[in-house]
Amino acid sequence: MLPRHHASNGYPRGKSEYKETYSISPHRFQPRTTPGAIRRRRQLLVRLTLILIVLFFGFFVWPGASILPVLSLGLMSSGDDFQLETVRYYDLSNVQGTARGWEREERILLCAPLRDAESHLRMFFGHLRNFTYPHHLIDLAFLVSDSKDQTLPLLSQLLEELQADEDPKQPYGEISIIEKDFGQKVNQDVESRHGFAAQASRRKLMAQARNWLLSAALRPYHSWVYWRDVDVETAPFTILEDLMRHNKDVIVPNVWRPLPDWLGGEQPYDLNSWQESETALALADTLDEDAVIVEGYAEYATWRPHLAYLRDPYGDPDMEMDIDGVGGVSILAKAKVFRSGVHFPAFSFEKHAETEGFGKMAKRMQFSVVGLPHYTIWHLYEPSVDDIRHMEEMEKERIAHEEEEKERAERMKKIKEQFTDPNSQWEKDKTDIQNEAMKEKAKAEKAKADAAAQEIETEEETEAAPKAVKAESKVESKAESKGDAKGPAKVQ
Amino acid sequence: MGPVRSLRRTNPLTIIVGVVLCIVIFIFILQPSNSDSPARKAAAASNPLSPPTSPFRKQNEKANGKRIPPPVVHYHMNNLTSTSDPVGNRETVLILTPLARFYQEYWHNLLRLSYPHELITLAFIIPKNRDGNAATAALQEQITKTQKSGPEKKRFASIIIERQDFEPPLVSQTEVERHKMENQKARRAAMSRARNSLLFTTLGPSTSWVLWLDSDIVETPTTLIQDLAWHNKPIIVPNCFQRFTDPKTRKPAERPYDFNSWQDSDTAKKLAEGMGKDDILLEGYAQMATYRTLMAYMADEGGDPKQEIDLDGVGGTALLVKAEVHRDGAMFPPFPFYNLIETEGFAKMAKRLGWGSTGLPNYKVYHYNE
Repeated sequence: MLPRHHASNGYPRGKSEYKETYSISPHRFQPRTTPGAIRRRRQLLVRLTLILIVLFFGFFVWPGASILPVLSLGLMSSGDDFQLETVRYYDLSNVQGTARGWEREERILLCAPLRDAESHLRMFFGHLRNFTYPHHLIDLAFLVSDSKDQTLPLLSQLLEELQADEDPKQPYGEISIIEKDFGQKVNQDVESRHGFAAQASRRKLMAQARNWLLSAALRPYHSWVYWRDVDVETAPFTILEDLMRHNKDVIVPNVWRPLPDWLGGEQPYDLNSWQESETALALADTLDEDAVIVEGYAEYATWRPHLAYLRDPYGDPDMEMDIDGVGGVSILAKAKVFRSGVHFPAFSFEKHAETEGFGKMAKRMQFSVVGLPHYTIWHLYEPSVDDIRHMEEMEKERIAHEEEEKERAERMKKIKEQFTDPNSQWEKDKTDIQNEAMKEKAKAEKAKADAAAQEIETEEETEAAPKAVKAESKVESKAESKGDAKGPAKVQ
Repeated sequence: MGPVRSLRRTNPLTIIVGVVLCIVIFIFILQPSNSDSPARKAAAASNPLSPPTSPFRKQNEKANGKRIPPPVVHYHMNNLTSTSDPVGNRETVLILTPLARFYQEYWHNLLRLSYPHELITLAFIIPKNRDGNAATAALQEQITKTQKSGPEKKRFASIIIERQDFEPPLVSQTEVERHKMENQKARRAAMSRARNSLLFTTLGPSTSWVLWLDSDIVETPTTLIQDLAWHNKPIIVPNCFQRFTDPKTRKPAERPYDFNSWQDSDTAKKLAEGMGKDDILLEGYAQMATYRTLMAYMADEGGDPKQEIDLDGVGGTALLVKAEVHRDGAMFPPFPFYNLIETEGFAKMAKRLGWGSTGLPNYKVYHYNE
């Protein structure tokens, strides 16, 4: 029997019968490909894909995968477990710090150690609000230690306000407030803070606080670290960019402070930024292992060139100067400096501690340490005890002077009140006298004229008389008007 | 009419699909919860800008395109303790490992540690070279296994991987090359920088203990952290040995490996005095006999593992440090510090800050044998 329906020409793959050639056994019965069956199969496929799409959407696309609890009938806990991330990956070569960090979105860690700083906080937050560096790229870290005033509550309140600010450009990045007490015995008032004897142990404790703050707040994503004291009164808003542009590992501006006029108007403040000198190195060799050289005291004459004294108010603010010790009022450093281990020695490192030791250690690790002698920021002026005494004296003097003035003024007033203004009387008397004189004159003239012009009666006489009359009437009207002015005022 | 008919007619294919779907859904329902316990969730930070020692919730950075400012977070570091009962006081441990090569045995040993894993954060620093890439890939594979699909008890609180270019690249890492005296200073300076980078970026505000564990430590007692912390010392170091097969007897034996834990000697002090500021004293070289007392040789057969000795220099293969020591500023000097460098310099710097070092000559950990 020949298959009737195909391959009758002997070619197994006849052009016209292309489809049929795929059936393996053409002689068997095939399921009828009725339109109904095709439709059902299609519907099935459509439903299957729909279900798959829904499932796929539910698992991967739905935000927070919130469909899962529905599917699992609440047997599984809520959806945000799926967002819990435990692995972090960082490439430290991306956070080396460059001159134009704001363009590369480099993050800065701003560190501020605080102790009993309540009175300065509002001023500091004023500075924070004004920074031009993108705020969301700056992380703030505060260490509050051994504070007896309201530093902590005020700080939290100000920070909450800052983060909740309407202006999207105001809120900062990560904010950490670290509370740690070191049991400091040293007072923070100006006198005890700057007394020579207290310096070494005070500086070591300060260094400890700084290290705790840094080690708790430095993250692998920071490119820069900025140390800033809260008692800076005046600084450019662009200070971060200004310092960053120099692209140095460690950089500090010059720090001065304003003074009252009687003290000369201004004064170098931060004497911890200096260049090493031979004298100081020789001095260091003579001291014992734990001694700490501190600047600005007669006890250690180091003859070092200080950044502060080299300031020229009209100098180029971009001028750089290599330094060895740095002051801590405002330090911008690349985070890699701290990552590689440079810190604030809380022990005597090459006879220095804290920020000066920091500068020394950075130098030891071949980092560049630079100061800007003509770029100045201004520290708050806090009068010393002597200054206060002097100012009290000045105040007393001023008050005494004022009282004197007042007294004098009062005496004048009294005199004025007791003796009425004699001017009008004088005027009157004057005119009277004048009138008298006129009359006399007129009489004398008359007599003269009488005597002289008995023989000639001229018009001269008629001319002189009206003159005198005129003068008299003038004076009289003046006195009258004065009396009129006074009269009604009194009545009323 | 079509849908009605298809519902009425039971097609075997639809039944199969339905059954398969049911099974899939039931698997989903009955599957052991893949999520973390509420306790772990509570410890999580709400923002990726958070101390890396805690896990964080991913989605919070941006909602409807706006940046949500991170919250103000208080850290009460006065309450941070490091005591002889770290488990009872729920003290967190940060395990730091400079990783040059990944050994499977190292990871297994980590997983075996009996200290509660939810109190452990792991942090690695890996050089950016070909070996480093391979090590990172291997490490990440193991991390995924443990953190995503492993049992919850084995999962660590957080894991940090850092990559860094080491300036003098650590190229030749074969054992012979590595121990050549000339290479030591540069190598250990680079190592110090790596250690410091790792330490100061991961320490965070809540770490109580820091355990330095080299990537080639492949065997430790499972109670390593508890045992070392029990001594309640600021810096404590076990004795690092190496297992090998004795070529003569063909029996397994062990030999001391880490010679950086020592007590100082007068000879060494005199040697240091005669040295320049930038020279370093090294241990274990015949050209430079220091006559220091090495802890490696102080181990007794069957000696008390709790025996303590004071040390002047420590090795870094396994080293437990109270976090406050590092917080005070004790780091690994990448420059000659009192003619010492890296971990030995660290012990010296800690001493300058008032923290002593202790060694346990009879408590052993084992180094990989190449």
